Amino acid sequence: MYSENYRPTEQLASHEFELYFGPNHPGIEGNYALKVRLNGDQVVKITADGGYLHRGFEKLMEERLWIQNVALVPRICVPDPVPMEETYARVVEMLGGLEVPERAQWIRVMMLEMSRICAHIFTFGGNAATIGQYSNMFWGVSDRDRILDLFEEVTGARVYHMYVTPGGVRRDLPDGFLARLSQLLDYLDARLPEYEDLFFDNPVVQQRGKNVGKMTQEQALEWGVTGPNLRACGLPYDVRRNDPYLVYEQLEFDIPIEQGGDVFARMLVRRAELIQSIRILRQVIEKLHVIKGAVRRCHLPNPLAWNIPEGDAYARTESSKGELAFYAVSNGTAKPWRVHVRGPSSMHAVQVLEKLCIGQRVEDIAQIMFSLDACPPEVDR
Amino acid sequence: MVDTLIYLLIVIIKILIIMVPLMGAVAYLTLAERKVIGYMQIRIGPNRVGFYGWGQPLADAFKLMFKEIVIPQNSDYFLFFIAPMLCIAPALAAWAVIPFADGLVLSNINAGLLYILAMTSLGVYGIIIAGWASNSKYAFLGAMRSAAQIVAYEIAMGFALVGVLMAAGSLNLSEIVKAQNGSLIHWYWLPLFPLFLVYLISAVAETNRAPFDVAEGEAEIVAGFHVEYSGMLFAVFFLAEYANMILVAALASIMFLGGWLSPFQGTPLEATFAFVPGIFWFLAKTSFFLFWYLWIRATFPRYRYDQIMRLGWKVFIPITLVWIVLIGVAVLLKLPPWFV
Repeated sequence: MYSENYRPTEQLASHEFELYFGPNHPGIEGNYALKVRLNGDQVVKITADGGYLHRGFEKLMEERLWIQNVALVPRICVPDPVPMEETYARVVEMLGGLEVPERAQWIRVMMLEMSRICAHIFTFGGNAATIGQYSNMFWGVSDRDRILDLFEEVTGARVYHMYVTPGGVRRDLPDGFLARLSQLLDYLDARLPEYEDLFFDNPVVQQRGKNVGKMTQEQALEWGVTGPNLRACGLPYDVRRNDPYLVYEQLEFDIPIEQGGDVFARMLVRRAELIQSIRILRQVIEKLHVIKGAVRRCHLPNPLAWNIPEGDAYARTESSKGELAFYAVSNGTAKPWRVHVRGPSSMHAVQVLEKLCIGQRVEDIAQIMFSLDACPPEVDR
Repeated sequence: MVDTLIYLLIVIIKILIIMVPLMGAVAYLTLAERKVIGYMQIRIGPNRVGFYGWGQPLADAFKLMFKEIVIPQNSDYFLFFIAPMLCIAPALAAWAVIPFADGLVLSNINAGLLYILAMTSLGVYGIIIAGWASNSKYAFLGAMRSAAQIVAYEIAMGFALVGVLMAAGSLNLSEIVKAQNGSLIHWYWLPLFPLFLVYLISAVAETNRAPFDVAEGEAEIVAGFHVEYSGMLFAVFFLAEYANMILVAALASIMFLGGWLSPFQGTPLEATFAFVPGIFWFLAKTSFFLFWYLWIRATFPRYRYDQIMRLGWKVFIPITLVWIVLIGVAVLLKLPPWFV
């Protein structure tokens, strides 16, 4: 029954058996492996193994120039790359004492919120696909594609933008972009009720999602849960509000919360956040019509000899997955001495997932993982 | 001797006349599924092979035929090979008693309904044996789920058919259609409405289709019972699934929507549509149910396994039991217009 190199780590009870869930499994995002021990089809124990997607980002960054790392950071999390760029840029700005022009700050907020919409639409779709509803996934991919078109217009790239650089953004918006963005927002506004019909009001989705993968607020705080997952437990904690960065202080938006703490509540929070992101983007568009000026520092130093002063800095951002933070230490040379990435997924996909799955059925593992919005490449940097 | 041979030859030709179009229908049902669901999901579906993708089923068939059949080392060879055949044989054999139009039936036997029940129940053996013979954990989980699910829904479906039997007073499928003669409201979907719904939903569960496809739940147990199958053996499972879909759709149209009867019976339009052959109405009704199956696949996510079992045992079986009693009373009272 077992292949030659298979060695069970411990002796199983006679009524239990072990199942390898991944790294190549349709219900898993990315190359992520779960070793599941089952009793019938109930999960007794689950062990996460993120090592299949170890790409060594943190070590790589030490070998690159400060400016080269701009191209490296968005790759840490594929579906939501802008917060990575933004946080890295901000940590370098803090270390180097760089000022960001006002227009660039607003453009960054715009990019962040567009990326959040992308990621949330993708998460609905992914969550629906794990329970066998592929229509929602395709709808999500198709709507996300329109946002990617806009990203392409601004940055030249669809996913890895490398647009937010220390000291500003790479270039100004193209002509007529803001009009196209507001058209897209109107389109999304019109589309959201259809997602309600297909996904949120669907009785089967509700039956599948309610009371599955449930955690209380105390547990969430204890386990280091952040972002929409924490807000689904009833705590209105959002870095954009609690530790504002860029121009978020000047924007009006609500922090949506839900009390359930289960899979469905987490999806509801994401839906409400999507609406708030659209609201933020509308305000940003108005501001961007008014605020003119440069989008980057005029005198960027020679990147090859760009020495960042000695010191350390910590910057954090609310990404679509949770709280994302970069801690960078510089020893005054052209390369970072150490960069640490605090990715939300390393908590969500390992310790939280391992605990939430216990006692659930095998068909809910994938759903719980998607509802936590864990991003495997972010787990093992 | 010669007479027997001629008789056998005629039967074989009749079988071919049913089987060849059926296989074609199965092939094009896969294309229809991909097209219909594609448009529901804002994409186009296959459109490369042939005229607007009409060659796609042939291309798929050729691809699967020339693929290697990979046999897992520790599997049970004999059972591994026999399982797909056990799956498809009953799905095709059941067509022997399906009346396509008045008198157009391969074998007009009196116990037709019983024969159908027997054949559709046999199909689960193929799935269980496939899951067991593969010697794979995912396949095993899928087979276990499928077995439990089919037992639960077979009962609900059987009871729904008992209602039809009581209403029509016959097990012969042609007689059942004839008993619905009259008009649209004479068809059994109206007096047996709860049984009609139970049958439709159980039929989805019976064929392992979404939203009851826990036996092959893709994001959970990868492909369930046929995870280890490849090439032509996999194709046979695929054919069996679609042949079963067409079968349950045909049964639904025979038992609840009046089979080959025209929907314009008893209306002023009856004479206008008298030229349309009965088989057209039968195929139209079958296609309607098939479209419905594709539609719910695009709309509903998969039920969780324990929810499926609860629905089967605690909702459907009580509903059918109660309605059978009511039907019995109605038949005794000769309730017009159905049971006179």
